[in-house]
Amino acid sequence: MRMRSRLAWTLWLTLCLSLLVVSPAAAYLDPGSGSVIFQAVIAGAMAASVGVKVFWSRIRRLFARGERAPEDATR
Amino acid sequence: MTSTQVAGSFRDPGGFVFIVDGVVHRQVNERARDDYDLLHTSGLYDALVERRLLVAHEEVDVPAPRPGAYRVIRPQQIPFVSYPYEWCFGQLKDAALATLDIQLLALDHGMTLRDASAYNIQFLEGRPVLIDTLSFGPRRDGEPWVAYRQFCQHFLAPLALMALVDVRLGQLARVHIDGIPLDLASTLLPGATRLRPGLGVHIHAHARSQQRHAGDASRGRSPAPAKAVSDRALRGLVDNLRATVSRLEWWPPATEWRDYYAGDSYSEEAFARKGELVAAMVERVAPRSVWDLGANTGHFSRIAAAGGAHTVAFDIDPAAVQLGYDEVKKHGDTRILPLVLDLTNPSPAIGWANAERATLAQRGPVDLVLALALIHHLAISNNVPLGRIAAYFAELAPALVIEFVPKSDAKVRTLLASREDIFDDYTQDGFEAAFSALYDIEDRQPVPGSERTLYLLRRR
Repeated sequence: MRMRSRLAWTLWLTLCLSLLVVSPAAAYLDPGSGSVIFQAVIAGAMAASVGVKVFWSRIRRLFARGERAPEDATR
Repeated sequence: MTSTQVAGSFRDPGGFVFIVDGVVHRQVNERARDDYDLLHTSGLYDALVERRLLVAHEEVDVPAPRPGAYRVIRPQQIPFVSYPYEWCFGQLKDAALATLDIQLLALDHGMTLRDASAYNIQFLEGRPVLIDTLSFGPRRDGEPWVAYRQFCQHFLAPLALMALVDVRLGQLARVHIDGIPLDLASTLLPGATRLRPGLGVHIHAHARSQQRHAGDASRGRSPAPAKAVSDRALRGLVDNLRATVSRLEWWPPATEWRDYYAGDSYSEEAFARKGELVAAMVERVAPRSVWDLGANTGHFSRIAAAGGAHTVAFDIDPAAVQLGYDEVKKHGDTRILPLVLDLTNPSPAIGWANAERATLAQRGPVDLVLALALIHHLAISNNVPLGRIAAYFAELAPALVIEFVPKSDAKVRTLLASREDIFDDYTQDGFEAAFSALYDIEDRQPVPGSERTLYLLRRR
Protein backbone atom coordinates (compact mmCIF):
# COMPACT_ATOMS: atom_id res chain seq x y z
CA MET A 1 0.00 0.00 0.00
CA ARG A 2 2.80 2.41 0.95
CA MET A 3 4.63 1.87 -2.31
CA ARG A 4 1.46 2.49 -4.25
CA SER A 5 0.75 5.71 -2.46
CA ARG A 6 4.36 6.87 -2.92
CA LEU A 7 4.03 6.39 -6.65
CA ALA A 8 0.68 8.21 -6.66
CA TRP A 9 2.35 10.97 -4.70
CA THR A 10 5.15 11.35 -7.23
CA LEU A 11 2.69 11.43 -10.10
CA TRP A 12 0.62 13.95 -8.26
CA LEU A 13 3.56 16.25 -7.58
CA THR A 14 4.53 16.13 -11.23
CA LEU A 15 1.01 17.07 -12.15
CA CYS A 16 1.00 19.94 -9.63
CA LEU A 17 4.21 21.33 -11.07
CA SER A 18 2.91 21.07 -14.61
CA LEU A 19 -0.19 23.04 -13.66
CA LEU A 20 1.53 25.67 -11.55
CA VAL A 21 2.38 27.81 -14.53
CA VAL A 22 -1.27 28.38 -15.40
CA SER A 23 -2.68 31.80 -16.05
CA PRO A 24 -6.35 32.10 -15.13
CA ALA A 25 -8.84 32.72 -17.92
CA ALA A 26 -12.51 33.66 -18.08
CA ALA A 27 -14.30 30.70 -16.55
CA TYR A 28 -17.78 31.17 -17.95
CA LEU A 29 -17.31 30.00 -21.52
CA ASP A 30 -16.49 26.39 -21.96
CA PRO A 31 -15.65 24.19 -19.00
CA GLY A 32 -16.14 21.10 -21.17
CA SER A 33 -12.94 21.36 -23.19
CA GLY A 34 -10.92 21.87 -20.01
CA SER A 35 -12.22 18.53 -18.72
CA VAL A 36 -11.43 16.74 -21.96
CA ILE A 37 -7.89 18.10 -22.17
CA PHE A 38 -7.37 17.38 -18.50
CA GLN A 39 -8.16 13.71 -19.07
CA ALA A 40 -5.48 13.56 -21.74
CA VAL A 41 -3.06 15.20 -19.30
CA ILE A 42 -3.70 12.70 -16.52
CA ALA A 43 -4.14 9.71 -18.87
CA GLY A 44 -0.55 8.57 -18.41
CA ALA A 45 -0.81 8.64 -14.64
CA MET A 46 -4.15 6.84 -14.73
CA ALA A 47 -2.82 4.11 -17.02
CA ALA A 48 0.22 3.77 -14.77
CA SER A 49 -1.99 3.47 -11.70
CA VAL A 50 -3.63 0.40 -13.24
CA GLY A 51 -0.18 -1.08 -13.86
CA VAL A 52 0.87 -0.35 -10.29
CA LYS A 53 -2.30 -1.91 -8.96
CA VAL A 54 -1.79 -5.11 -10.94
CA PHE A 55 1.90 -5.23 -10.00
CA TRP A 56 1.14 -4.64 -6.35
CA SER A 57 -1.59 -7.27 -6.17
CA ARG A 58 0.87 -9.78 -7.68
CA ILE A 59 3.47 -8.94 -5.03
CA ARG A 60 0.88 -9.30 -2.31
CA ARG A 61 -0.26 -12.60 -3.70
CA LEU A 62 3.35 -13.80 -3.74
CA PHE A 63 3.78 -13.07 -0.05
CA ALA A 64 0.33 -14.25 0.85
CA ARG A 65 1.03 -17.66 -0.65
CA GLY A 66 0.56 -20.36 1.90
CA GLU A 67 -1.59 -18.06 3.97
CA ARG A 68 -5.11 -17.02 3.15
CA ALA A 69 -5.57 -15.14 -0.09
CA PRO A 70 -5.50 -11.38 0.52
CA GLU A 71 -9.02 -10.98 -0.88
CA ASP A 72 -10.37 -13.34 1.77
CA ALA A 73 -8.26 -11.82 4.51
CA THR A 74 -9.79 -8.39 4.07
CA ARG A 75 -13.34 -9.64 4.26
CA MET B 1 -55.27 6.69 -24.25
CA THR B 2 -53.47 9.96 -23.52
CA SER B 3 -49.73 10.30 -23.66
CA THR B 4 -47.71 13.19 -22.28
CA GLN B 5 -44.02 13.82 -22.66
CA VAL B 6 -42.20 14.12 -19.33
CA ALA B 7 -41.17 17.76 -18.96
CA GLY B 8 -37.59 17.01 -17.92
CA SER B 9 -36.93 14.68 -20.86
CA PHE B 10 -35.84 16.83 -23.81
CA ARG B 11 -32.03 16.92 -23.99
CA ASP B 12 -31.33 13.59 -25.68
CA PRO B 13 -32.07 13.54 -29.45
CA GLY B 14 -32.01 9.74 -29.16
CA GLY B 15 -35.37 9.58 -27.44
CA PHE B 16 -37.57 10.78 -24.64
CA VAL B 17 -39.81 9.65 -21.83
CA PHE B 18 -43.58 9.85 -21.97
CA ILE B 19 -46.45 8.69 -19.85
CA VAL B 20 -49.45 6.68 -21.04
CA ASP B 21 -52.23 6.20 -18.50
CA GLY B 22 -49.84 6.75 -15.63
CA VAL B 23 -47.21 4.31 -16.97
CA VAL B 24 -43.74 5.56 -17.97
CA HIS B 25 -42.57 4.67 -21.50
CA ARG B 26 -39.57 5.68 -23.57
CA GLN B 27 -39.48 6.40 -27.27
CA VAL B 28 -36.20 5.31 -28.88
CA ASN B 29 -35.60 7.35 -32.02
CA GLU B 30 -34.20 6.05 -35.30
CA ARG B 31 -31.02 8.04 -34.73
CA ALA B 32 -30.35 6.02 -31.56
CA ARG B 33 -31.02 2.70 -33.32
CA ASP B 34 -27.37 1.60 -33.57
CA ASP B 35 -26.58 2.42 -29.94
CA TYR B 36 -29.75 0.78 -28.68
CA ASP B 37 -29.09 -2.35 -30.73
CA LEU B 38 -25.46 -2.48 -29.61
CA LEU B 39 -26.58 -2.25 -25.98
CA HIS B 40 -28.42 -5.52 -26.52
CA THR B 41 -26.16 -7.36 -28.99
CA SER B 42 -23.01 -6.60 -26.96
CA GLY B 43 -24.54 -8.33 -23.93
CA LEU B 44 -24.25 -5.13 -21.88
CA TYR B 45 -27.99 -4.85 -21.29
CA ASP B 46 -28.19 -8.37 -19.83
CA ALA B 47 -25.06 -7.87 -17.75
CA LEU B 48 -26.37 -4.62 -16.27
CA VAL B 49 -29.87 -5.90 -15.59
CA GLU B 50 -28.50 -9.07 -14.02
CA ARG B 51 -26.45 -6.97 -11.61
CA ARG B 52 -29.46 -4.70 -11.05
CA LEU B 53 -27.56 -1.65 -12.28
CA LEU B 54 -29.94 -0.74 -15.11
CA VAL B 55 -33.70 -0.64 -15.03
CA ALA B 56 -35.12 -3.55 -17.05
CA HIS B 57 -37.46 -2.83 -19.93
CA GLU B 58 -39.61 -4.54 -22.50
CA GLU B 59 -40.36 -3.45 -26.02
CA VAL B 60 -44.06 -2.71 -26.35
CA ASP B 61 -46.54 -2.10 -29.08
CA VAL B 62 -47.61 1.33 -27.88
CA PRO B 63 -48.01 4.05 -30.54
CA ALA B 64 -44.99 6.38 -30.55
CA PRO B 65 -46.08 9.90 -29.67
CA ARG B 66 -43.66 11.54 -32.11
CA PRO B 67 -42.32 10.70 -35.59
CA GLY B 68 -38.88 9.13 -36.04
CA ALA B 69 -39.43 6.30 -33.57
CA TYR B 70 -37.46 3.06 -33.78
CA ARG B 71 -38.87 1.39 -30.67
CA VAL B 72 -41.12 2.12 -27.73
CA ILE B 73 -39.98 0.53 -24.50
CA ARG B 74 -41.67 0.21 -21.13
CA PRO B 75 -39.16 0.19 -18.26
CA GLN B 76 -39.82 -1.30 -14.85
CA GLN B 77 -41.67 1.47 -13.02
CA ILE B 78 -39.99 3.56 -10.34
CA PRO B 79 -42.44 3.98 -7.43
CA PHE B 80 -41.10 7.38 -6.38
CA VAL B 81 -38.74 9.61 -8.35
CA SER B 82 -36.21 11.20 -5.98
CA TYR B 83 -33.51 13.77 -6.58
CA PRO B 84 -29.87 14.00 -5.46
CA TYR B 85 -30.63 16.90 -3.09
CA GLU B 86 -33.04 14.58 -1.28
CA TRP B 87 -30.50 11.81 -0.81
CA CYS B 88 -28.40 11.28 2.28
CA PHE B 89 -24.63 10.93 1.95
CA GLY B 90 -24.78 7.14 1.70
CA GLN B 91 -27.37 7.23 -1.07
CA LEU B 92 -25.34 9.71 -3.13
CA LYS B 93 -22.22 7.62 -2.58
CA ASP B 94 -23.95 4.39 -3.62
CA ALA B 95 -25.36 6.16 -6.68
CA ALA B 96 -21.83 7.36 -7.55
CA LEU B 97 -20.32 3.89 -7.18
CA ALA B 98 -23.16 2.38 -9.24
CA THR B 99 -22.45 4.91 -12.02
CA LEU B 100 -18.76 3.95 -12.06
CA ASP B 101 -19.55 0.22 -11.99
CA ILE B 102 -21.90 0.75 -14.92
CA GLN B 103 -19.13 2.53 -16.83
CA LEU B 104 -16.62 -0.26 -16.12
CA LEU B 105 -19.12 -2.86 -17.30
CA ALA B 106 -19.87 -0.76 -20.38
CA LEU B 107 -16.13 -0.63 -21.20
CA ASP B 108 -15.99 -4.42 -20.88
CA HIS B 109 -18.65 -4.58 -23.61
CA GLY B 110 -17.10 -2.01 -25.93
CA MET B 111 -19.47 0.75 -24.90
CA THR B 112 -19.27 3.86 -22.73
CA LEU B 113 -21.61 5.97 -20.61
CA ARG B 114 -22.34 9.26 -22.31
CA ASP B 115 -23.83 10.90 -19.22
CA ALA B 116 -23.08 10.66 -15.55
CA SER B 117 -26.02 12.71 -14.33
CA ALA B 118 -27.13 11.93 -10.80
CA TYR B 119 -30.71 12.42 -12.04
CA ASN B 120 -30.27 9.33 -14.22
CA ILE B 121 -30.00 7.23 -11.07
CA GLN B 122 -33.11 6.28 -9.11
CA PHE B 123 -33.64 4.06 -6.11
CA LEU B 124 -35.55 0.92 -6.99
CA GLU B 125 -36.19 -1.72 -4.35
CA GLY B 126 -33.64 -0.10 -2.08
CA ARG B 127 -30.83 0.06 -4.64
CA PRO B 128 -29.53 2.66 -7.06
CA VAL B 129 -30.24 1.87 -10.72
CA LEU B 130 -29.64 3.71 -13.97
CA ILE B 131 -32.94 4.67 -15.58
CA ASP B 132 -31.59 6.16 -18.81
CA THR B 133 -31.40 3.24 -21.21
CA LEU B 134 -30.16 5.56 -23.97
CA SER B 135 -27.05 6.73 -22.07
CA PHE B 136 -24.76 4.26 -23.85
CA GLY B 137 -22.72 4.68 -27.00
CA PRO B 138 -19.87 2.73 -28.59
CA ARG B 139 -16.44 3.27 -27.06
CA ARG B 140 -14.19 4.70 -29.78
CA ASP B 141 -10.43 4.25 -29.56
CA GLY B 142 -8.66 7.09 -27.85
CA GLU B 143 -11.81 8.96 -26.95
CA PRO B 144 -11.86 10.49 -23.46
CA TRP B 145 -14.80 9.88 -21.11
CA VAL B 146 -17.22 12.62 -22.10
CA ALA B 147 -19.10 12.28 -18.82
CA TYR B 148 -16.02 12.80 -16.64
CA ARG B 149 -16.82 16.44 -15.90
CA GLN B 150 -20.45 15.59 -15.15
CA PHE B 151 -19.45 12.78 -12.82
CA CYS B 152 -17.14 15.06 -10.85
CA GLN B 153 -19.82 17.78 -10.63
CA HIS B 154 -22.80 15.54 -9.85
CA PHE B 155 -21.12 13.09 -7.51
CA LEU B 156 -17.53 13.64 -6.44
CA ALA B 157 -17.79 17.34 -5.58
CA PRO B 158 -20.94 17.10 -3.43
CA LEU B 159 -19.69 13.91 -1.74
CA ALA B 160 -16.36 15.55 -0.87
CA LEU B 161 -18.12 18.66 0.43
CA MET B 162 -20.56 16.61 2.50
CA ALA B 163 -17.84 14.38 3.94
CA LEU B 164 -15.14 16.97 4.54
CA VAL B 165 -16.94 20.30 5.08
CA ASP B 166 -20.60 19.91 6.08
CA VAL B 167 -23.19 17.32 5.16
CA ARG B 168 -25.73 20.10 4.53
CA LEU B 169 -23.74 21.18 1.47
CA GLY B 170 -25.56 18.37 -0.34
CA GLN B 171 -28.28 21.01 -0.71
CA LEU B 172 -26.06 22.91 -3.16
CA ALA B 173 -27.36 20.46 -5.78
CA ARG B 174 -30.73 22.17 -5.51
CA VAL B 175 -29.20 25.39 -6.84
CA HIS B 176 -26.72 23.87 -9.29
CA ILE B 177 -28.86 21.49 -11.32
CA ASP B 178 -25.90 20.34 -13.45
CA GLY B 179 -23.81 19.56 -10.38
CA ILE B 180 -21.52 21.62 -8.19
CA PRO B 181 -19.14 23.72 -10.34
CA LEU B 182 -15.66 22.40 -9.66
CA ASP B 183 -14.15 25.82 -9.04
CA LEU B 184 -16.76 26.33 -6.33
CA ALA B 185 -16.04 22.93 -4.80
CA SER B 186 -12.31 23.68 -4.99
CA THR B 187 -12.84 26.95 -3.11
CA LEU B 188 -15.03 25.40 -0.42
CA LEU B 189 -12.94 22.29 0.28
CA PRO B 190 -10.22 22.47 2.94
CA GLY B 191 -6.85 23.49 1.44
CA ALA B 192 -5.28 20.21 2.58
CA THR B 193 -7.47 18.28 0.13
CA ARG B 194 -5.22 19.65 -2.64
CA LEU B 195 -2.63 17.18 -1.41
CA ARG B 196 -4.95 14.20 -1.48
CA PRO B 197 -4.20 12.26 -4.68
CA GLY B 198 -7.85 11.69 -5.69
CA LEU B 199 -9.46 14.99 -4.75
CA GLY B 200 -6.33 16.92 -5.68
CA VAL B 201 -6.55 15.62 -9.23
CA HIS B 202 -10.28 15.24 -9.90
CA ILE B 203 -11.47 18.41 -8.17
CA HIS B 204 -8.66 20.93 -7.70
CA ALA B 205 -6.41 20.33 -10.71
CA HIS B 206 -9.48 19.54 -12.83
CA ALA B 207 -11.05 22.89 -11.87
CA ARG B 208 -7.83 24.65 -12.75
CA SER B 209 -7.70 22.97 -16.12
CA GLN B 210 -11.30 24.03 -16.80
CA GLN B 211 -10.38 27.60 -15.95
CA ARG B 212 -7.29 27.48 -18.08
CA HIS B 213 -9.09 26.23 -21.16
CA ALA B 214 -12.34 28.11 -20.64
CA GLY B 215 -11.65 30.57 -23.43
CA ASP B 216 -10.12 28.14 -25.94
CA ALA B 217 -13.07 28.08 -28.32
CA SER B 218 -13.42 31.87 -28.42
CA ARG B 219 -9.69 32.20 -29.04
CA GLY B 220 -10.00 29.87 -31.98
CA ARG B 221 -8.04 27.07 -30.32
CA SER B 222 -9.09 23.55 -31.06
CA PRO B 223 -10.78 21.93 -28.08
CA ALA B 224 -9.54 18.49 -29.15
CA PRO B 225 -7.27 16.73 -26.67
CA ALA B 226 -3.56 16.79 -27.41
CA LYS B 227 -3.33 13.01 -27.18
CA ALA B 228 -5.64 10.08 -27.04
CA VAL B 229 -6.95 8.44 -23.89
CA SER B 230 -6.18 4.73 -24.12
CA ASP B 231 -8.48 2.00 -22.87
CA ARG B 232 -6.10 1.37 -20.05
CA ALA B 233 -6.01 5.03 -19.07
CA LEU B 234 -9.79 5.26 -19.18
CA ARG B 235 -10.14 2.23 -16.96
CA GLY B 236 -7.51 3.71 -14.66
CA LEU B 237 -9.49 6.94 -14.51
CA VAL B 238 -12.74 5.20 -13.58
CA ASP B 239 -10.89 2.97 -11.13
CA ASN B 240 -9.23 5.99 -9.55
CA LEU B 241 -12.57 7.79 -9.25
CA ARG B 242 -13.98 4.68 -7.61
CA ALA B 243 -11.18 4.58 -5.05
CA THR B 244 -11.58 8.33 -4.41
CA VAL B 245 -15.32 8.00 -3.83
CA SER B 246 -14.88 4.88 -1.68
CA ARG B 247 -12.51 6.70 0.65
CA LEU B 248 -15.05 9.44 1.39
CA GLU B 249 -16.99 8.62 4.55
CA TRP B 250 -19.51 10.42 6.66
CA TRP B 251 -20.79 9.14 9.99
CA PRO B 252 -23.98 10.54 11.44
CA PRO B 253 -23.24 12.49 14.61
CA ALA B 254 -25.50 12.05 17.60
CA THR B 255 -28.33 14.46 16.82
CA GLU B 256 -31.38 15.60 18.71
CA TRP B 257 -33.56 13.56 16.35
CA ARG B 258 -31.51 10.43 16.57
CA ASP B 259 -32.34 10.09 20.24
CA TYR B 260 -35.84 11.48 19.86
CA TYR B 261 -37.61 8.33 20.93
CA ALA B 262 -35.37 8.00 23.97
CA GLY B 263 -36.88 11.20 25.40
CA ASP B 264 -39.59 11.42 27.99
CA SER B 265 -42.58 11.31 25.64
CA TYR B 266 -43.13 7.60 25.67
CA SER B 267 -42.54 4.53 27.69
CA GLU B 268 -41.41 1.53 25.69
CA GLU B 269 -44.81 -0.06 26.06
CA ALA B 270 -46.63 3.06 24.94
CA PHE B 271 -44.33 3.24 21.92
CA ALA B 272 -45.17 -0.34 20.98
CA ARG B 273 -48.87 0.36 21.49
CA LYS B 274 -48.62 3.40 19.21
CA GLY B 275 -47.09 1.14 16.57
CA GLU B 276 -50.09 -1.19 16.81
CA LEU B 277 -52.51 1.73 16.48
CA VAL B 278 -50.65 3.05 13.43
CA ALA B 279 -50.57 -0.41 11.85
CA ALA B 280 -54.33 -0.81 12.36
CA MET B 281 -55.10 2.57 10.80
CA VAL B 282 -52.78 1.93 7.85
CA GLU B 283 -54.48 -1.42 7.35
CA ARG B 284 -57.88 0.27 7.18
CA VAL B 285 -56.66 2.58 4.41
CA ALA B 286 -54.88 -0.30 2.62
CA PRO B 287 -52.60 2.09 0.72
CA ARG B 288 -50.30 1.12 -2.14
CA SER B 289 -48.11 4.12 -1.39
CA VAL B 290 -47.34 6.00 1.82
CA TRP B 291 -45.35 9.16 2.57
CA ASP B 292 -44.18 9.22 6.15
CA LEU B 293 -43.46 12.90 6.86
CA GLY B 294 -41.05 13.49 9.73
CA ALA B 295 -40.15 9.81 9.71
CA ASN B 296 -36.94 10.09 11.74
CA THR B 297 -35.07 6.83 11.07
CA GLY B 298 -38.24 5.23 9.68
CA HIS B 299 -39.63 3.15 12.57
CA PHE B 300 -43.25 3.78 11.56
CA SER B 301 -42.38 3.70 7.86
CA ARG B 302 -41.36 0.09 8.37
CA ILE B 303 -44.71 -0.60 10.01
CA ALA B 304 -46.50 0.95 7.02
CA ALA B 305 -44.29 -0.92 4.55
CA ALA B 306 -44.93 -4.20 6.34
CA GLY B 307 -48.51 -3.93 5.11
CA GLY B 308 -47.21 -3.93 1.52
CA ALA B 309 -47.17 -0.21 0.74
CA HIS B 310 -44.20 1.45 -0.93
CA THR B 311 -43.20 3.95 1.74
CA VAL B 312 -41.09 7.07 1.43
CA ALA B 313 -39.62 8.05 4.81
CA PHE B 314 -38.94 11.79 4.72
CA ASP B 315 -37.00 13.56 7.42
CA ILE B 316 -35.27 16.90 7.74
CA ASP B 317 -32.23 15.43 9.48
CA PRO B 318 -29.56 13.96 7.14
CA ALA B 319 -28.27 11.85 10.04
CA ALA B 320 -31.68 10.25 10.66
CA VAL B 321 -32.05 9.58 6.92
CA GLN B 322 -28.56 8.05 6.81
CA LEU B 323 -29.43 5.75 9.71
CA GLY B 324 -32.72 4.85 8.01
CA TYR B 325 -30.88 4.09 4.77
CA ASP B 326 -28.35 1.94 6.64
CA GLU B 327 -31.29 -0.04 8.04
CA VAL B 328 -32.80 -0.44 4.58
CA LYS B 329 -29.49 -1.82 3.28
CA LYS B 330 -28.97 -4.06 6.29
CA HIS B 331 -32.38 -5.68 6.04
CA GLY B 332 -32.66 -5.55 2.26
CA ASP B 333 -35.94 -3.61 2.52
CA THR B 334 -37.34 -3.18 -0.95
CA ARG B 335 -40.33 -1.02 -0.09
CA ILE B 336 -38.78 1.83 1.95
CA LEU B 337 -37.05 4.86 0.55
CA PRO B 338 -35.60 7.26 3.15
CA LEU B 339 -35.15 10.82 1.87
CA VAL B 340 -34.05 14.20 3.24
CA LEU B 341 -36.84 16.77 3.14
CA ASP B 342 -37.48 20.01 5.00
CA LEU B 343 -41.25 20.04 5.06
CA THR B 344 -41.28 23.77 5.85
CA ASN B 345 -39.53 24.30 2.51
CA PRO B 346 -40.20 21.20 0.39
CA SER B 347 -38.35 20.43 -2.85
CA PRO B 348 -39.34 23.01 -5.46
CA ALA B 349 -39.76 22.69 -9.22
CA ILE B 350 -36.39 23.50 -10.79
CA GLY B 351 -34.63 23.49 -14.12
CA TRP B 352 -35.73 24.76 -17.52
CA ALA B 353 -39.12 26.49 -17.33
CA ASN B 354 -39.29 25.28 -13.72
CA ALA B 355 -40.38 21.95 -15.10
CA GLU B 356 -37.36 19.62 -15.24
CA ARG B 357 -37.56 18.49 -11.62
CA ALA B 358 -40.93 18.27 -9.93
CA THR B 359 -42.11 19.56 -6.58
CA LEU B 360 -42.95 17.12 -3.85
CA ALA B 361 -46.71 17.48 -4.46
CA GLN B 362 -46.29 16.98 -8.23
CA ARG B 363 -44.71 13.61 -7.52
CA GLY B 364 -47.90 12.52 -5.84
CA PRO B 365 -50.62 11.85 -5.27
CA VAL B 366 -49.90 9.26 -2.66
CA ASP B 367 -52.54 7.08 -1.02
CA LEU B 368 -51.73 7.94 2.58
CA VAL B 369 -49.71 10.52 4.50
CA LEU B 370 -48.37 9.68 7.95
CA ALA B 371 -47.68 12.70 10.16
CA LEU B 372 -46.64 11.31 13.53
CA ALA B 373 -45.14 13.53 16.22
CA LEU B 374 -44.85 16.22 13.59
CA ILE B 375 -47.60 18.79 13.96
CA HIS B 376 -46.02 20.68 16.88
CA HIS B 377 -42.87 21.23 14.83
CA LEU B 378 -44.90 22.75 12.01
CA ALA B 379 -47.43 24.68 14.08
CA ILE B 380 -45.23 25.88 16.94
CA SER B 381 -41.60 25.83 15.78
CA ASN B 382 -42.54 27.14 12.36
CA ASN B 383 -45.73 29.14 13.09
CA VAL B 384 -47.81 27.44 10.37
CA PRO B 385 -51.53 27.81 11.19
CA LEU B 386 -53.34 24.47 11.62
CA GLY B 387 -55.65 25.23 8.68
CA ARG B 388 -52.69 25.59 6.34
CA ILE B 389 -51.15 22.34 7.55
CA ALA B 390 -54.48 20.61 6.85
CA ALA B 391 -54.64 22.18 3.38
CA TYR B 392 -51.15 21.02 2.36
CA PHE B 393 -51.65 17.48 3.65
CA ALA B 394 -55.01 17.35 1.85
CA GLU B 395 -53.23 18.32 -1.37
CA LEU B 396 -50.82 15.41 -0.96
CA ALA B 397 -53.11 12.49 -0.12
CA PRO B 398 -56.76 11.48 0.31
CA ALA B 399 -56.04 9.82 3.66
CA LEU B 400 -54.07 11.05 6.64
CA VAL B 401 -52.92 9.39 9.84
CA ILE B 402 -51.90 12.22 12.13
CA GLU B 403 -50.91 12.47 15.75
CA PHE B 404 -52.03 15.50 17.74
CA VAL B 405 -49.50 16.48 20.40
CA PRO B 406 -51.04 18.82 23.02
CA LYS B 407 -49.32 21.70 24.78
CA SER B 408 -49.14 19.63 27.96
CA ASP B 409 -46.80 17.14 26.21
CA ALA B 410 -43.15 17.32 27.29
CA LYS B 411 -41.93 17.88 23.72
CA VAL B 412 -44.28 20.81 23.18
CA ARG B 413 -43.40 22.27 26.59
CA THR B 414 -39.77 22.23 25.48
CA LEU B 415 -40.64 24.06 22.27
CA LEU B 416 -42.63 26.67 24.20
CA ALA B 417 -40.08 27.07 27.00
CA SER B 418 -37.98 29.54 25.07
CA ARG B 419 -40.73 31.55 23.40
CA GLU B 420 -44.00 33.32 24.00
CA ASP B 421 -47.09 31.14 23.62
CA ILE B 422 -48.96 32.87 20.81
CA PHE B 423 -50.76 29.69 19.78
CA ASP B 424 -54.26 30.12 21.22
CA ASP B 425 -55.78 27.80 18.59
CA TYR B 426 -53.31 25.01 19.26
CA THR B 427 -55.70 22.81 21.24
CA GLN B 428 -57.31 19.48 20.50
CA ASP B 429 -60.60 21.27 19.67
CA GLY B 430 -58.74 23.78 17.50
CA PHE B 431 -57.00 20.91 15.70
CA GLU B 432 -60.26 19.05 15.05
CA ALA B 433 -61.97 22.22 13.84
CA ALA B 434 -59.13 23.07 11.44
CA PHE B 435 -58.87 19.59 9.95
CA SER B 436 -62.64 19.00 9.85
CA ALA B 437 -62.89 21.76 7.28
CA LEU B 438 -61.27 19.41 4.76
CA TYR B 439 -61.43 15.94 6.28
CA ASP B 440 -63.87 13.54 7.91
CA ILE B 441 -62.59 12.12 11.15
CA GLU B 442 -62.86 8.38 10.69
CA ASP B 443 -61.13 7.29 13.86
CA ARG B 444 -59.68 8.87 16.96
CA GLN B 445 -57.50 6.89 19.40
CA PRO B 446 -55.69 8.10 22.50
CA VAL B 447 -52.04 7.06 22.47
CA PRO B 448 -51.56 5.07 25.70
CA GLY B 449 -49.08 6.44 28.20
CA SER B 450 -49.25 9.94 26.72
CA GLU B 451 -51.68 12.80 26.24
CA ARG B 452 -51.48 12.49 22.49
CA THR B 453 -54.24 11.40 20.10
CA LEU B 454 -53.94 9.50 16.85
CA TYR B 455 -56.43 10.35 14.08
CA LEU B 456 -57.41 8.65 10.87
CA LEU B 457 -58.76 11.32 8.52
CA ARG B 458 -60.31 11.04 5.05
CA ARG B 459 -60.33 13.95 2.69
CA ARG B 460 -63.82 15.00 1.65
